[in-house]
Amino acid sequence: MIKTSQLSKRVSTAESELEILRGIELEIKQGETAAIVGASGSGKSTLLGLLAGLDTPSAGAILLDGTNIVNLDEDQRATLRSQKVGFVFQSFQLLPALTALENVMLPLELAGIAHAREKSEEFLSRVGLDERLHHYPRTLSGGEQQRVAIARAFASQPVILFADEPTGNLDTATGANVIELLFGLNEEEGTTLVLVTHDNSLADRCQRKFTMTAGQLEEAL
Amino acid sequence: MKSPIAASFRLLLRDWRGGELGVLFSALLLAVTVVVAISGFVNRLQFNLERESASFLAADLVVSSAKPVPLEWRAKVDTEGLQRGETITFSSMVISDNDEMFLASVKAVAGGYPLRGSLSVDVGSAQPSSRIPAPGGVFLAPRLVQQLRVAVGDAVYVGDATLTVTGTLLSEPDSTSGFFGYGPRLVMNSADLDATGIVQPGSRVTYRLLVAGSSNQLEAFRDWVDPQLTQGQRLLSVDESQPGIGATLERARGFLLLAGSLGVMLAAAAILVAARRFGERHTDQVAVMKSLGATKRTIQQLYALSLTWLGLLSIVLGSGIGWLAQSAMFNALADQLPGEINRIGVTPYLTGAVTALVCVGFFAWPPLARLGGVSPLRVIRRETTIANSTRALDLLLGAASLGLLMLWYSRDLQLTAALLGAVAITVGLGFFVAHGLLGGTRQIGSNAGSVWRLALAGMQRRGNSSAFQVVIFGIAIMLLLVLTAVRTSLLDQWRLQIPEGTPNHFVLNVSPSDEARLLTFFSEREIEVGELYPAARGRVMAVNGAPLPDRDSAEGGARQREANFTSTDTAPEGNEIVEGAWWRAGTDDALVSLEDGFAQDIGARVGDQLTIRIAADEFSVEVASIRKVNWESMQPNFFVIFPDQLLLKFPNMLFTSFYLEPDEKRRVGELLDVIPTLTIIELDVAIAEIKTIIDQVSQAIELVLIVILVAGALVLIAGVSASVDERLHESAILRALGAGRGTLLGAVAIEFAAMGSLAGVLAILGSEAAGWALQTQMLELDYQVQWVLWPMGIGLGAIIIGGLGTFACRRVVSAPPLKVLREL
Repeated sequence: MIKTSQLSKRVSTAESELEILRGIELEIKQGETAAIVGASGSGKSTLLGLLAGLDTPSAGAILLDGTNIVNLDEDQRATLRSQKVGFVFQSFQLLPALTALENVMLPLELAGIAHAREKSEEFLSRVGLDERLHHYPRTLSGGEQQRVAIARAFASQPVILFADEPTGNLDTATGANVIELLFGLNEEEGTTLVLVTHDNSLADRCQRKFTMTAGQLEEAL
Repeated sequence: MKSPIAASFRLLLRDWRGGELGVLFSALLLAVTVVVAISGFVNRLQFNLERESASFLAADLVVSSAKPVPLEWRAKVDTEGLQRGETITFSSMVISDNDEMFLASVKAVAGGYPLRGSLSVDVGSAQPSSRIPAPGGVFLAPRLVQQLRVAVGDAVYVGDATLTVTGTLLSEPDSTSGFFGYGPRLVMNSADLDATGIVQPGSRVTYRLLVAGSSNQLEAFRDWVDPQLTQGQRLLSVDESQPGIGATLERARGFLLLAGSLGVMLAAAAILVAARRFGERHTDQVAVMKSLGATKRTIQQLYALSLTWLGLLSIVLGSGIGWLAQSAMFNALADQLPGEINRIGVTPYLTGAVTALVCVGFFAWPPLARLGGVSPLRVIRRETTIANSTRALDLLLGAASLGLLMLWYSRDLQLTAALLGAVAITVGLGFFVAHGLLGGTRQIGSNAGSVWRLALAGMQRRGNSSAFQVVIFGIAIMLLLVLTAVRTSLLDQWRLQIPEGTPNHFVLNVSPSDEARLLTFFSEREIEVGELYPAARGRVMAVNGAPLPDRDSAEGGARQREANFTSTDTAPEGNEIVEGAWWRAGTDDALVSLEDGFAQDIGARVGDQLTIRIAADEFSVEVASIRKVNWESMQPNFFVIFPDQLLLKFPNMLFTSFYLEPDEKRRVGELLDVIPTLTIIELDVAIAEIKTIIDQVSQAIELVLIVILVAGALVLIAGVSASVDERLHESAILRALGAGRGTLLGAVAIEFAAMGSLAGVLAILGSEAAGWALQTQMLELDYQVQWVLWPMGIGLGAIIIGGLGTFACRRVVSAPPLKVLREL
């Protein structure tokens, strides 16, 4: 499903060149759940950005569902994302001007999927927000916002879902709820799940666990 | 995306609902509204003022001729589809049954007279009549009624004809056209002209062919008839017949177009600010959409279509509001204006639409187009790519498009160049000075108290964006200063043109023996009277010994000219010597000074010998100088002036001028009772009408100024609110950290006030440059550095911007910091 080879990322700063990722080798199979843990600044978010095609590596290859996304341009990667990738972010990233329902509909509309409204309503009801379809993000609690984000991620039925610290902005109890939802839906939909987290309890629920240290990745077996 | 149009519609609706579009849409709407309202108002005012000014001629165009107007010219007027009328004027003694007689200025009229304006005649009924006299009837001016001691129904004798007085003439549109047509008016029907037997070959008669119609038709007729004019025939249009009015209208038009152009510029500035803000606020949204799979193309298509909808909506709504606004402005003047003409034409709407397109395309679009390039990585790394600095190329393109728009709008290269130049100065100096000063303020700030440190550090940290705002504020204030300054000069100039108490009556034919009686008459009644000048009626007979023909010859050329001569040893005020030199005082050389048009008519140049006849005496003088006369001045002006010593040798009459209040009009009759031989020229009606037009135009200008001031205020508000977001965020954090209300508001107030006074400095530099160019080059006014504006511009900039900014940021001290932080 996801495979990288010799993946590295360097950025130039005013003083020197900084190597954020060094020769990452990673393979995750269809339907697997994987967690990437590590200290702040170890490069895990950078890796997630690369895997999802949000950024381009300095060297190496990334195969996403059989396509080497390194060879795609920004627009081709965007199209690929609209077809195969879902996201859940730490800061929810709901569009403030849109209602919960419209936020969920947005990726479906972008991908040109039929019956966007019905599908969105269904997923919002699966995350327990069928009473809040027409609420704006600012009137929802953090947990509710993240549930909208989860509904949005699953609604377009991606083959792979990336989650960046999905519980990072939530208290423990709410976070636990969100995790239940995430894994429950993941199981029902058979999605491949890759998440970046500090939260060990969250990481422990994944089938595979990788640790990032100073730009290098190691699987905890 | 399946249907980009439907999607863009949804995007627009959602953005609208989220309140994101408010400022951008208001700015666009403002642009269209201001342009439609001002150009509509200008068009309508121009239609009406031209119509009103045309009433000075009683027509749009007049062919004045010393001999009957050729039949084929009349036929041409008819075939061109123009309205036609005719007047024949001459001086004639009018006699009443009780043997009173008086020299009247007779005007015979027919057909559609007057084509513009209207007659007002007291025919004994409640409402004044506006019809011309029926054959056999005459209307007399009140003074003629008084002099002849007649009443409606009595008979008067004009030449061989016996006519009946059927009304008292209250006003006639073309009263001023026979400037030196002495004597009170008698209006008769031209059907009775033959019966008078007065109009014979060789008699001094002025024939006028009146023409009115659309400007295209008039142009065609003018082009056709102009080459056929011979000596003694002249074409008169509003501008030429009433130079005072023509120049007034021209300046007013210039001012209004200037105001309209400023409106467009202000709106463009508002749109630039609003679009930048819109782009900034949408950066995160676009990053999310891209992470969800939207391509650059999709994003650009979405925003392009959304902007298109927004543009279309603002065109429709702006046209509607603009129409209402010009209507309201016009109605505010309705008391003064004959609101006959209701149409504003299509051009204002077209201008509004083009303005909207230019604003959308060159000012709103660039920041939004860059949204397509936002990196989706921003969803996990917020600091990635800020998509939104204003690029130099955008600014250049924007300035170029705006320049073309203004050029198209004003059709005036000088105006456009002056304004763009001023804006360039403000922008260029702005970034330079703003950067320098902002750096300097930081130095001061680090040594100052915490409020100041906070304010100045904030301003400097946002260096580029602060500089941008200072420039935008500077442009807005600059444009308002320019407009205010030009308006003030214009109004001052108009007030000077006809100051209060300008003589409105001229007295001719004062014999030296009547001088004392005349002066006593005025002093007894406390009427101020001007100096007495010698005046003699005379004729130029020959130039360099070559006699001038005494009437028009078939082949045209120079002819004898009769004129009023005067003498003075000091060059008259308002006259400019264009050739030769003025004589020294007390000279007894035989010299003469000629008005340049008069000199051309008789074909004389400096150094030529003229043969002059006054009464029965003929003598020779040398042309010493040629003068240009300011006919706008409404002062006594002379074609021919001699040295004092020269005219003393001739028995000559005196003339003078005086001012009468409207309710003292009876003094004219009283004066004629005391000295019946006087000739009095009454200019009070003409002067009053010119004053009315000036007053109307002045009021129109004040109204338009208010509209532009409002537009300017909106730009300032847009600019301030665009910068409020980041300050709110920062202030909320500071407040959460325990900063007090006073500290925060103080810092915000200082920051905005500092930017405001910087903007004030830029505005003054720009406005002095633009003011100089506009006033000296375009409006032909004198330019003076407006020192008084300097402290005012800086102070007002600080107060207004500081106040607006503090007001906009007040929320941060009243709302809980958490709420502010969460909403942002």
